[in-house]
Amino acid sequence: MPKFEAISKMQEIMTNYYVEAKTTKEKPIAWVTSGAPVEFLQAMDIIPIYPENYAAMCASSHTGMELIDAAEAAGYSQDICSYARTDFGAAMTSGGPVGGLPEPDFLLCSTNICKTVIKWYEAIARVKKVPLFVVDTPFLYQGLNQPVIDYCVRQFKDLELFLADLTKRPFDHERFHETLFLTAEATELWRSILNLGETIPSPINAIDGFIHMAPIVTLRGTQTCVDYYKLLLAEAEKRVRDGVSAIPEEKYRVLWDNLPIWFKLKRLGKFFAEQKCAITAATYTNSWGGPLIEPWQSNDIYEVMASQYLSGYINLGFADRIKYLVELIETNSLTGFVMHSNRSCKPYSIGMYRLQEEVTHLTGKPGIIIEADQNDERAYSDAQTETRLEAFFESMDPVATAPNRA
Amino acid sequence: MYSAFHLVTNNVSDVVREHQQQLDRPVIGVMPAYFPMELIEAAGGYPVQLWGNNLPIQHADSHLQGYCCSVAKSIMELELRGSADMVQAYAFTTLCDTLVNLREIYERVFSKPQVVLSMPMTRTMDARRSYLESGVESIVKGLEEITAQQITPTSLAESAALFGRTRELQRELYQIRRVSPGLIGNRDFYAVIKAGFFLPRTVYNTMLEDLLKKLKPLSPPKGKRPRIVISGLVFDPIDIFSTLDDLQVDVVDDDFANGWRTVSKKTLRTDNLVDGVAEYLYEAAPCCCLYNAENDRHDYLVDKTKQADADGVLFWYINFCEPDAFDAPLLKERLKKEGIPVSSIDVELTMSHFDAVKTRLNAFSEILEG
Repeated sequence: MPKFEAISKMQEIMTNYYVEAKTTKEKPIAWVTSGAPVEFLQAMDIIPIYPENYAAMCASSHTGMELIDAAEAAGYSQDICSYARTDFGAAMTSGGPVGGLPEPDFLLCSTNICKTVIKWYEAIARVKKVPLFVVDTPFLYQGLNQPVIDYCVRQFKDLELFLADLTKRPFDHERFHETLFLTAEATELWRSILNLGETIPSPINAIDGFIHMAPIVTLRGTQTCVDYYKLLLAEAEKRVRDGVSAIPEEKYRVLWDNLPIWFKLKRLGKFFAEQKCAITAATYTNSWGGPLIEPWQSNDIYEVMASQYLSGYINLGFADRIKYLVELIETNSLTGFVMHSNRSCKPYSIGMYRLQEEVTHLTGKPGIIIEADQNDERAYSDAQTETRLEAFFESMDPVATAPNRA
Repeated sequence: MYSAFHLVTNNVSDVVREHQQQLDRPVIGVMPAYFPMELIEAAGGYPVQLWGNNLPIQHADSHLQGYCCSVAKSIMELELRGSADMVQAYAFTTLCDTLVNLREIYERVFSKPQVVLSMPMTRTMDARRSYLESGVESIVKGLEEITAQQITPTSLAESAALFGRTRELQRELYQIRRVSPGLIGNRDFYAVIKAGFFLPRTVYNTMLEDLLKKLKPLSPPKGKRPRIVISGLVFDPIDIFSTLDDLQVDVVDDDFANGWRTVSKKTLRTDNLVDGVAEYLYEAAPCCCLYNAENDRHDYLVDKTKQADADGVLFWYINFCEPDAFDAPLLKERLKKEGIPVSSIDVELTMSHFDAVKTRLNAFSEILEG
């Protein structure tokens, strides 16, 4: 499988990001969730640090389990999110890559990825003795509406006051606007990259997406992020022009629903490629690629921003999730879909059995559910998963040979 | 003295059916937790609280994964078996990730109407209030559609008085338990509280008043017995209280979502319903599922334990309950720092073997007896 050359650039910018965060004397550090509105922080020269991203790094580098063990030995139940357990363990043992995370001055969490983050961040706030700001983004049972937008906007305005108070200077609205434009540009680039997955054969795999999503999550709102995705997009487009596909021979095309199984990324990538199955789209990576539902119409940038932070995939009601999955299956010419029933992510996973049934009913495409966990290796079996996947591959009709549609 | 309450908890379906026929009101199943049932009553509904049950899971596994809690599973099992035929609609809140998604499953699998109260969790107070206003409007409208009856200022005031009276009487019962440990058996106590989930208010309030009258002249058992406070989400399986009775351990207070966290709520203010619901949700005993920066669970549980003169705290953990599991380690650490012994039991509502729990409780009781 060809690797994107841009990866060395990504490694460089991610290293620079961690080095700056670990050495800065001037800039405050905020620990934030992956769905937090970081543009407010970027505007005030605050470095956002992502414990989720760090936990994923630990799992990918196979250092996660010893950290999880440490957290469990300290009393944290196996029932809680394995990202949280990984990070708790890293903090307790000073373990994990890059020697742990820089200490936070405050915490910012948003409930658009789960309600669990409140519990996680409350625990961090208590241990680190730092303030916690919560931006609550309620679950969208039936799409966006004015009260939920107003609710978020009011919290955004309060966040500005909180940051001004914390940094002892007025909130920088000019920088904030610049940051929003940078986010919009990077988001558009990221979406364009992911949309190339619609090409047959696909030049990009969801496994690539899981790896290359680090900047859109951690450096959103910066020029560095925009520049990186320009580079990656150019490389992906060249692949399309040159007829280079992400896997050597593409027979099946599927989407991946839920977080990756970080500790099996490499093995599963290889396994899918051997089985001639390209994972051309993922609901997880797409959540950072702009609206998945009808965009909210408003001239107010706060309202638009609220609508975007509210409408990530797992904050959507099931009707919208099903609509989106069906749309992905159609636009990507998929032959089936894979759902990761993730023990650590209830909002993504509970109800999945029903979703699978309805999506298959609507599209006629087979779906498979894999029982696993994003970080906890004990919840996964190679043999069981691969045997089930083999049966699934056999159940799919190969993709129809069609002209390149990109 | 308690047989009437046990009769209710042992025959829930029959009891609800019987009262539903007498009242001729639609039964609204109230999911965990904190939906203001006053609104259901005021709209002419008959609210019945669903906190899970002990049915063996035969059907719910086809909708809910193994890592989903037994509260959600057993509630869904009830509907999938056709045993919730008398429930005509459901009232949800956004208590936790599981309950949020469970509502979505119900919407697609069953045809019964639902209302949802989206509970804001923010430190931005003006945002919380205005969002709650839209939430309250939405559930009022939803309930009125279900019952085809308007919620009027009069019906709301009457309903608030009835529910307020229930919690007032329950608080008296809690107070008796605090000052006279052992006077009410543990299992009996929770049967009394649990019966209130299913009975119409007027019936239940009368039963509570009678019970309180009967308890007044009685004295607690003599001698020092271990006293504990219990913290958890749901006080089931109720059989576990029999073990505590056998061990002569007295539960003197609790921090259950369907116990004191609900009982502590004041009478719902109806002059300004939005402020009333805000007070109802956030100003009672704190809950692990309800973010409220101004209501700290640590200080609260330490104070509660000291005020009840308890010897220790038991954590009653329902497997796969993430909000509870996240809070437990630091909460236990804090209690230990205060010199308060702690222990914990892991339970499933559907469990039928209690050997491990009994062993745990026995050991804790011995520690407390010194």
